[in-house]
Amino acid sequence: MDFRPLNEVERRQLVTALRGNADRGLSLLMDRQTTYTGTAEEVPDEEVIAAIKSVPCHY
Amino acid sequence: MGLLDTEFGKRRLLTVEVPAVEAYNRGRDPGFGITLNRVGGALVLSYQLKPCHNVYRLETRLLSSYPTVPPETRVLTPLKHCAHLLEGQTMCLWRQGSTRAASRWDPAQFTCVFAVQAAWRWLACYEVWHETGEWPLPEAK
Repeated sequence: MDFRPLNEVERRQLVTALRGNADRGLSLLMDRQTTYTGTAEEVPDEEVIAAIKSVPCHY
Repeated sequence: MGLLDTEFGKRRLLTVEVPAVEAYNRGRDPGFGITLNRVGGALVLSYQLKPCHNVYRLETRLLSSYPTVPPETRVLTPLKHCAHLLEGQTMCLWRQGSTRAASRWDPAQFTCVFAVQAAWRWLACYEVWHETGEWPLPEAK
């Protein structure tokens, strides 16, 4: 696969979002192609399925 | 005994899993929805995720013991090997091989779409790790 990396700003924003998601349940939002678009403190019920809420995974 | 072979399994699929997949697919661009296929005794979700700039093809397998046993998610797109990737490019998501009590998978709360979302977050971490060598989230205790 021809890997296209994140630039520095994108990477910093994504790391902050991922940590906000893991630490305090901040929702990660994605578009119709599942690409990250930002974060939200609250997500309407009907949109929860499309947002990444706190996912308790083992990494 | 497969998920489709028991009344409990069928009811779970019809009332929980399929509606969750339909809701996930609603408004999704072509190629980014989830398709469901039966493979032997398992149900397999095939889909693509693109958390950042790269598209990954994935497969989430609901084994016959699902939802008691968590789904297994495998990345079909070749990845650089990292410590959070198990054999066969299976994502380390729910403490595979752990006891039910120790697992972070909760069958009463989660659906197969939750596993897709977990895979998305794993891939977002992978994209960061790919460039920095550091996994952005701490190891679960």
